[in-house]
Amino acid sequence: MGQDLFDGYATDGFYDELLTADGEVRPHYRALYDKLATFSHEELARRERLRDAAFRSAGITFTVYGEEEGVERTFPMDLLPRIIPADEWAHIEAGLVQRVTALNRFLDDLYLGERAVLHDNVVPRWLLTSSAGFCRQAFGVPVPHGAHCLVAGIDLVRDADGTYRVLEDNLRNPSGISYVLENRAAMTRVLPVVFGQSRVRPVDHYGASLLRALRHVAPPAAGDPTVVVLTPGVYNSAYFEHAFLARQMGVELVEGRDLVIDEHVVYMRTTRGLQRVDVIYRRIDDDFLDPVVFRQDSMLGVPGLMAAARAGNVTVANAVGNGVADDKAVYAFVPELIRYYLGEEPILPNVETYLLWDADQRAGVLDRLGELVVKPVAESGGYGMLIGPAATDAEIAEFRARIEADPRNYIAQEVVSLSRHPTLIDDHLEGRHIDLRPFVLTGERVEVIPGGLTRVALRRGSLVVNSSQGGGSKDTWVLAGEGQPLEPAEEAAS
Amino acid sequence: MRLDIRYRCRFDYDQPVRESQNELRAAPAPHDRQSLISYRVATSPPARVLTFEDYWGTRVDAFGVRDSHTHLEVVAESSVETRPQPLLTASPRVERLADPAFLDEHVEYLQRTAHTAWGPTIEAEARQQAGLVGPDVVSVVLALHRRVATTFTYRPGATYVGMDVEELCTRREGVCQDYAHVMIAMCRSLGIPARYVSGYLFTADDSTGDIPEGEMVEVQTHAWVEAAVPGHGWIALDPTNQQEVGERHVKIGHGRDYDDVQPLRGVFAGSATCELDVSVEIRKGTVTAAPAPTPRPHRQAQQAQQQQ
Repeated sequence: MGQDLFDGYATDGFYDELLTADGEVRPHYRALYDKLATFSHEELARRERLRDAAFRSAGITFTVYGEEEGVERTFPMDLLPRIIPADEWAHIEAGLVQRVTALNRFLDDLYLGERAVLHDNVVPRWLLTSSAGFCRQAFGVPVPHGAHCLVAGIDLVRDADGTYRVLEDNLRNPSGISYVLENRAAMTRVLPVVFGQSRVRPVDHYGASLLRALRHVAPPAAGDPTVVVLTPGVYNSAYFEHAFLARQMGVELVEGRDLVIDEHVVYMRTTRGLQRVDVIYRRIDDDFLDPVVFRQDSMLGVPGLMAAARAGNVTVANAVGNGVADDKAVYAFVPELIRYYLGEEPILPNVETYLLWDADQRAGVLDRLGELVVKPVAESGGYGMLIGPAATDAEIAEFRARIEADPRNYIAQEVVSLSRHPTLIDDHLEGRHIDLRPFVLTGERVEVIPGGLTRVALRRGSLVVNSSQGGGSKDTWVLAGEGQPLEPAEEAAS
Repeated sequence: MRLDIRYRCRFDYDQPVRESQNELRAAPAPHDRQSLISYRVATSPPARVLTFEDYWGTRVDAFGVRDSHTHLEVVAESSVETRPQPLLTASPRVERLADPAFLDEHVEYLQRTAHTAWGPTIEAEARQQAGLVGPDVVSVVLALHRRVATTFTYRPGATYVGMDVEELCTRREGVCQDYAHVMIAMCRSLGIPARYVSGYLFTADDSTGDIPEGEMVEVQTHAWVEAAVPGHGWIALDPTNQQEVGERHVKIGHGRDYDDVQPLRGVFAGSATCELDVSVEIRKGTVTAAPAPTPRPHRQAQQAQQQQ
């Protein structure tokens, strides 16, 4: 019987996505809850088998996922989807569009503009010039339409009172979108009836939207631009996603050795000879992109690519040098960047962050390391972090020494009491902490794919949702509002 | 001083190579002590050259040769008018190095880089030298300059590009870029912003200082150091030759270390071994008024390092 699933379920004082503090089912979860109430254990087991079969038939063989930007390995999908009602999503969407618009403006100002942000003392100059992500080789390389962050993954969390906050920005090579699409494909087979009744906004136009954005940023002279996906190769742990995206867009998947440059123009070697390439969606980190200007020992990239981009003959997306904007110390200034470039108040707040080079803030932090989260500024994926409440005295002492040796390299944040979501643990439901990585595209306009990757900290009590730390995922349903079409207007029209 | 410079860099390969891509930094940068009168660059085989100014203000000429070739030669010819460095009158105390505005402006010249990652040895030596002189920035910089200039032995081939700066300091021998990196590391370890300068040095008959016009001398590319003095600007010193930088020093550009201003940097496809020949000829000219899916290619890096 269905009640069994929720037997002993407790919200434990956390913000629960499905239940209110009074134990009432939130209206947007009613259809799912009612359906689950009818499930026997046998039925549940059958649905799990359906899910597993769906992933097998999709040929998904995730191994360990790349260290880059947070997504590490297979995220087993939980049977319960996360559901976001239309009004909440409208708020998130507006906040993400605002944030990514400001970040694009900032990067354009810094690398191609007057650097007004420095002259107006919005961000300290030294903070940018000391950032590992500040890429001097990117200066003066044109970025059509200022679309520096063509694909952004903005990690959101929900705190104890349900407020969505930005935890970090991923502006270099954010990964994970393939999970979003695969989770959705599987979920429509696992819970077809609930899905069908729920007016869930689709995500499967991602490939088309990405391709449209990439074509939009082609060099102005390119008539009918040729787009390729550049991967480090089959040995890269995110290769599956690179191949997946190339297939979704119907474009070539290439490695560095498949491209050659002649007179600062990029060509792809094909069986019919050389074919000009106009836009490269690269999934290779800056450092490995072009051995002439970056690491000389890199065999992955394309020699001369940066000169070709500088000459305006090819567009590289995401643009080179975005790392300065997702440096976690620069993150603390993003609300100011929004005010500065857009003249608006930030819609989505940051998590309270302390900058450790500031002697006063550092002193306050060092006194209470046991209550805070400490992160290195250039890492992602939950590596090198200190989670104060879970740390031993020795770990705290070690971080104290690290901070004192290199305060620029660390930030501290208040622990966010992440919201929880009912999650299937063996044969019953327990609350588990979650976050959300929506994907934001910058093309002709800034567009947010409805939902994103919901990550789940599967270990009881854990706040770390990265899969290396035992994370799972959920399909994320954004519900269409009353009278709102499911499809974005332009898709419906075409 | 009017100087005409001919920089030539030639790679000869023992078998054909392809897809060579290169960046050349050989053009004298216009600045307050130096005017660039003319500059031109030519390559063989001929290639389309993309010219731009990099983040540091250095002119870069980028070019590639896709087709099979057995040699690559690039010639950069420039004419400059140089002026002596003004006499330094400022003597700010070292406390002014901590001024927030000064730090904000110079932080990238204070950090460790691949070639200037100092450790305790360099810092201790720098502190000890600084302790011997007055607590003003210029005295400290000059002390470090003298220390490197007088205790290092010039010895080509004794070191290689990429040798740890602490090891360089222990060996106390090397070429101009080693002198520069050690002095930069010492300055930075004391909080004095310092940067690496790549350039040319006209060294004809240095003992007399008397050079007939039109005389051509064969030299090599050179490297020296600039250190930032609060309230004054940069002072330029040449530790390899134990002298202040003057009219005979022609600056190409500066950066945090060698990697930012490497004269020629590139890669090619192929498994050839190459022979490198770099020459720099300088002639003192007449004084003028100052004007204004295939097989993975085996890639190899090529570079022409500073050698003097």
